[in-house]
Amino acid sequence: MTATIQWQTGMDEALSLGKKAGKPILLDFFNPN
Amino acid sequence: MDTVTYPESKVVRFIEENFIPLRIPSDSKPHPEKFNVKWTPTLVTLSPSGQEHHRTVGFLGVEELISSLLLGLGKYHFENDRFDEALASFRQLLDGYGTSGSAPEAMFLAGVCGYKRSHDPKPLKAAYEKLTAAFPDSEWTKRAYPYRLL
Repeated sequence: MTATIQWQTGMDEALSLGKKAGKPILLDFFNPN
Repeated sequence: MDTVTYPESKVVRFIEENFIPLRIPSDSKPHPEKFNVKWTPTLVTLSPSGQEHHRTVGFLGVEELISSLLLGLGKYHFENDRFDEALASFRQLLDGYGTSGSAPEAMFLAGVCGYKRSHDPKPLKAAYEKLTAAFPDSEWTKRAYPYRLL
């Protein structure tokens, strides 16, 4: 089974998770097209 | 990034261990405009309070991505005055990815961390000497130039 990155899609939720986990956020702005 | 770099297990593991990964389309609102995103991929290291600490633009392979993320992690700690943690990230970068594009900045900041921890200027001079030896043409070597006099 191939592992994949479990990306968050909402800023507020990611920041909240970062606060809980004590981790920074890796924010990837990607081209959806 | 999706076809070459992100599927690598080493990358998945590193990101999951050290970051909360967040993807936002560049044509959405309001964040791309707020972060002044003009090209993709743009990768930003944010603190949980939303403060930006590091950014790269353009494709990165596995080694360059991990080294850049280590630099971002170190800067996240450094800019929050956690110099021991910052130094650990910079050293991990230099030990594992010492020839990467992120290495000169990490070498410079490792010297600054050493000074911040001890108020002894020796780490700054050591950083200049290491930069001169390893990256004589780097902008970070030029920025460290005054430290030769310490």
